Amino acid sequence: MNNKKKTNFNKILKTLPPDVKDQFDKSRPHLEEYLTGDQFRLWVDSGVQIASQSNSSWDITVNLFRVSPIMTGLLKPDDFMKWLNVGEDLACQYPMLGTAYFSSSPAALHNMQAEHISDWADLGSNLYKGTWKSGTLSNRFFESSGALLEQLTFEELARFAEFIDILAKHSYDLSSECLSLALRLFPLVGDDKTGFISLSLNLVETGWRQLKAFYDSSLKSLPKIDPSQRKRFLGLAERLHTSGVPNMPNTILEISQALQLINKREHGQLLDIAAPLIDLHPSAFPEFIKSSPIVLNKVSFDKLDSWCAEGKRLLQTNPDGAMAFFKIESSRSEKFLEDISSSVDFSAISNLIELYCRALAGEEINLADSRELVEKNIGWVAADSPTTEGSTVYLPETVDRYSKKSQNFLWYKVVSTHQVGRMEFGSFRFNFYGTSHRFDNLRNALDNKTSEIAGSNVSAATDIQRFFNLFEERQLSLDIFSIVEDGRVDAKIKDEYKGISKGYKSIQSDALALRPNVRELKSREALLELLVQISLGETQPISVPKKYKTQALNIVKIARHCMNAQSTVEDTAEATIRIYRILIDVLNDEVDEDDWDPLDFEDESSEGDNFSDPEGLQQSLDSMGSASGDDPADTLEENYNSPQEVDYRGEFKPELTQLLEKLREQGQFRDGDNDSESITQEMMEEFAQNTVELSQELNEGVGSITNDEVVENMLKEVGLQKPESLEGGQGPLVHIDETGGELEADEPETFVYDEWDFRAGDYKPRWCIVRQKYMAEGEDAYYGSIVQSYGNLVMQVRRQFELLVPETMRKQRRLQDGEDIDIDDVIETMVDIKTGSSPNEKMYWRRNKVHRDVAVVFLLDTSASTAEAIDDSKSINDQSTAPEDPVEYMLWLRSRRGEGSKRTYKRIIDLEKEALILLINAIEAIGDTYGIYGFSGYGRENVEFYTIKDVDELFSDKVKRRIDRISPLHATRMGPAIRHSTSKLASLDARTKLMFLISDGRPQDRGYSREGVEKEYAVHDTKMALDEARSKGINPFCLTVDRNGHDYLKTMMTEMGYEVLDDIHALPHRLLYLYRKLTT
Amino acid sequence: MATKTSNSTKSLYQSYIIEEYHLKQEPYYVPVGDEIQLFEAAYAQRIPVIFKGPTGVGKTRFVEYMSWKLGVNLTKVKKGKKSENATQQDNLPLVTIACHEDLTASDLVGRYLLEGDQTVWIDGPLTRAVKVGGICYLDEVVEARKDTTVLIHPLTDHRRMLPVEKRGELLEAADGFLLVLSYNPGYQSALKDLKHSTRQRFVSIEFNPPPREIEAEIVSHEAKIDIDIAMQLAQLGEKIRNLREHGLGEGASTRLLIYAGKLIAAGIEPRRACQVAVNWSVTDDQSLQNSIEEVTASIFE
Repeated sequence: MNNKKKTNFNKILKTLPPDVKDQFDKSRPHLEEYLTGDQFRLWVDSGVQIASQSNSSWDITVNLFRVSPIMTGLLKPDDFMKWLNVGEDLACQYPMLGTAYFSSSPAALHNMQAEHISDWADLGSNLYKGTWKSGTLSNRFFESSGALLEQLTFEELARFAEFIDILAKHSYDLSSECLSLALRLFPLVGDDKTGFISLSLNLVETGWRQLKAFYDSSLKSLPKIDPSQRKRFLGLAERLHTSGVPNMPNTILEISQALQLINKREHGQLLDIAAPLIDLHPSAFPEFIKSSPIVLNKVSFDKLDSWCAEGKRLLQTNPDGAMAFFKIESSRSEKFLEDISSSVDFSAISNLIELYCRALAGEEINLADSRELVEKNIGWVAADSPTTEGSTVYLPETVDRYSKKSQNFLWYKVVSTHQVGRMEFGSFRFNFYGTSHRFDNLRNALDNKTSEIAGSNVSAATDIQRFFNLFEERQLSLDIFSIVEDGRVDAKIKDEYKGISKGYKSIQSDALALRPNVRELKSREALLELLVQISLGETQPISVPKKYKTQALNIVKIARHCMNAQSTVEDTAEATIRIYRILIDVLNDEVDEDDWDPLDFEDESSEGDNFSDPEGLQQSLDSMGSASGDDPADTLEENYNSPQEVDYRGEFKPELTQLLEKLREQGQFRDGDNDSESITQEMMEEFAQNTVELSQELNEGVGSITNDEVVENMLKEVGLQKPESLEGGQGPLVHIDETGGELEADEPETFVYDEWDFRAGDYKPRWCIVRQKYMAEGEDAYYGSIVQSYGNLVMQVRRQFELLVPETMRKQRRLQDGEDIDIDDVIETMVDIKTGSSPNEKMYWRRNKVHRDVAVVFLLDTSASTAEAIDDSKSINDQSTAPEDPVEYMLWLRSRRGEGSKRTYKRIIDLEKEALILLINAIEAIGDTYGIYGFSGYGRENVEFYTIKDVDELFSDKVKRRIDRISPLHATRMGPAIRHSTSKLASLDARTKLMFLISDGRPQDRGYSREGVEKEYAVHDTKMALDEARSKGINPFCLTVDRNGHDYLKTMMTEMGYEVLDDIHALPHRLLYLYRKLTT
Repeated sequence: MATKTSNSTKSLYQSYIIEEYHLKQEPYYVPVGDEIQLFEAAYAQRIPVIFKGPTGVGKTRFVEYMSWKLGVNLTKVKKGKKSENATQQDNLPLVTIACHEDLTASDLVGRYLLEGDQTVWIDGPLTRAVKVGGICYLDEVVEARKDTTVLIHPLTDHRRMLPVEKRGELLEAADGFLLVLSYNPGYQSALKDLKHSTRQRFVSIEFNPPPREIEAEIVSHEAKIDIDIAMQLAQLGEKIRNLREHGLGEGASTRLLIYAGKLIAAGIEPRRACQVAVNWSVTDDQSLQNSIEEVTASIFE
């Protein structure tokens, strides 16, 4: 029976492709053993049944047979049969899904209870809607199930399948993409898969198009978030979504990018603070998170909380203001942040300290961020420590060493005082032949000796270099010199500036606390460290190696003698020679723990001003520099390390600084005759070779820059500063994203202005950059042609204006007191007295000076819209405006052609220009101060401000030529242009200040807006700018040729002068009329 | 300007007739350079003098000092040789006129006043100085109206005449008369500069803030404080003057430092004294004030 059956199978199987039989044969032994006979038969039947479904369904059977042996390992025989049945039903019903079902089963069932088998099959088959695409999706689902189940429970899988199904109604492609993304995503999600799936489901309902983006961004953002917080994050994301925050995927990506910048351990804390924001104002949440890294840079977490709380308070009264607050785009936000933070930013104090330094030094000292100096690559390398190169004090970008703001500020102050002290007290003015007051001069004798030996005839570029040339161990001498000199400067400052000395001492003792333990150093280094600590004012005994105790005492003695207020830099040099002499004999070897002895040097301090070189030192000093002077420390030199830098002193490079200064001087006199010995190429080379100030950092491995390159950079730094090109061209536009933060004016001729955000009721700090340029020059024939074409009017206007000029003296009568008695009034008074009525006592007159004192700025809107043609048919015949003078005519003709088109119509801007020319003519007649500017621009970082005539510039042909080139450009951002003009006018000394705004339409610019409120935003900013002008005593007047102008001008110009021209042709006349009226 | 009332009342207040005012005690003045010799020489030759320099460096004090010093010499000479001119003052009178925008020529020369039903001529301060032969000191002369130059010119060349137009007179200056002007080239705008035709009738003595040690000595004397504090004040003054090119119209004058010293002497804490007497007086600019505040804090404990 059995056999018969078997042959039956074989017979049937033989009708199928050989693959089936092969697979069957392979699996058969295993299955026969596992299943009962009946079950085995059912198995074979199922296979045959499936294979007979269609021409190609044998393939399914092959898969069934193939996976069956594996399945036997996963399932009990009963469950196996159930699996088989489900599979058979599925395969028969939807042949397309069969293969996927069977081949995915091993993986899927690995993580699935047998009872879910049929549900699983249902999930898959539900996705199949009879189309090819849905089939593919369904197959994908089966194939992915195994992997998905690694992450999900079956219930979650079911929800996920539901999601896929719903999504598929919108798009199969999207659905299957999400499926494959989900495979990568689920491992990242953490525990709360259900949450994630329901968020996905939610998204399908409200915005299925975003799903892919959401998945993509989740995939990118989740790894950035602390795993324990991911669930929370997604929850918050869902709440954000349900509360209607637009563009969710992007938002979560941005949030996660911000979070990435924060320590993962703090994510929870941050989300704690941020979460309540969603209830208050959902879109505040992402903004808060986005800003938090910046805020956390300045303040600690508890302060972040109070910052957030302030924002929340603001949310209740002024949501827009609060949004700006969270974006750190309002002055209030900045200020609050500044108030709560303990750190002090360089940018916040640079103005204050710069003036402070200038006051102290009496020189043109600039302040800059240390990084700038490092970037110049001229020898300085530490970007976070203070330093100076003789003309500029470089300070670190931010200081947050202490918990109190005042202390951090004090640090800045002490640091800059020290740096300025180097300049004020002459560290860089070392003169080799200068006298030292407190030591005998050894330099010159030594100099003679060394130059004899070396025989070098290249003279040193600087005095200080000459000095260091005296030493064999240049590094050591530089170290000694730096320490002693810094100590001297410190002493001098403390003496000179009594007020700061307390703070100074506290900074010094803080620096002392950071010094390395002397006992861990080698002998020579220990003695140098001793020197450093003395220079920092250490009074406690310091350990020194026993055997060098006398040397140590001598060092202390010399150093103490030098580090006081009476010494000069030359004394430092002498002290350096002496200490060097002592140290060169000290072997830089390790010292045993027991060989240290504390050196109590307190009693030495009361020695007074009597100083003589310690005994024994004299002789060795004499021997120094002589031919083959014994150099015992020679072999150990390799191991010598310079002492650790004192942080508040920073880098000290006297050699480089003096060289730079000298080079600068040389640069200044390059054209003229320069008598002082100039620095030659050889000198520079010599310098680069010898100096240790450069090789120091090369050893530290800062990039591959060579000394030569540094020298080159130095030359660039001092001499060849290319003047910024004044080419007034309408240069390329740099685009900065509107959502960015504040801007800095880093180029010359650029100015930064705040912008008013009416919604927030606050300024956006440093929001716009105004770039001031000269208008390019065209032909001056244009000017002439206009004057000619208006011929009569020009004369008439000129005459009218000349009448405006007042007499300088005007007699004023009937005064109580004055220059003289007015006879008429006196007679009247006498008559009054005689007739008995009360006399009028005002009978004096005096001359009063009445002078016209007017400054006016014309702001010309040169936005693109001024290119609009003036709609009139009577086009002006070009010929009629042509100049009669043949030369001018040719020029005029050429310029016409140059413009490319033969315009026969007039544009708004043409009329603006004509009006301007008439006005110039008129104003020149009365001699008022005036400036003419055009403005346009594109975006807040590119407000172009074209100077046509600067207020302090005289009228010239240049101006004429510039007028020719006024042409329509970009957009209209009025606010910054007005503010810039205001600042120009404010600096002028005039009684009447007038700002004439001539525009064609409303202010508008890219991003001159907040979403949906573009018009109001621009209008309000413009209004605010005009208000600012008024508060500075400037009288603004707007003249517009926009026919719809009334709409916005009314809100903008309440109680301010404005006028809308109905007929644009009236512009020139009207402008003149208005000018006359306004200025008298 | 000195008081204009001509009738002196003795009881309630001290009042001087303009031309009779002269210094009775030696004013405190510490010479910085050779200005004393220069002025003496110029006076001896009756060459008019211009004092140039910022406010509060001692221009007015110097002219007072010189009038006293020259007056003392005058007295000596007279007593020794001839005493015929009894009406002549023993001392050299000093007529100081602070010029202002509305100061006109008639303010200087004089005018008719109505008294009852008749007019009375009243001499202006310049006329009085010319008549009596004293030093006439026109402070901040560029402020005055241009018509004053009409008077200055004939007085300052060989003529030494004052035209009194309204009375049809031409007054010859008395022997001791000397015109001294002061002006501050720093803060006036170019519009208000002295004309060359005027400038070149004078010799110019420049005044600058004294060096730290001298200034400290002055401050210490004037404010009656000890020299250490005075040194610090002088140091502060020096540092603030360094800021002159950076938005500060003019540096802290010695006068301000003395005020600060006086406040300190009266028991005000030094930093506070400097704040009100120096810092807030030299500038209204907030950022400059802050910087000066820091400088003050660095100097004073």
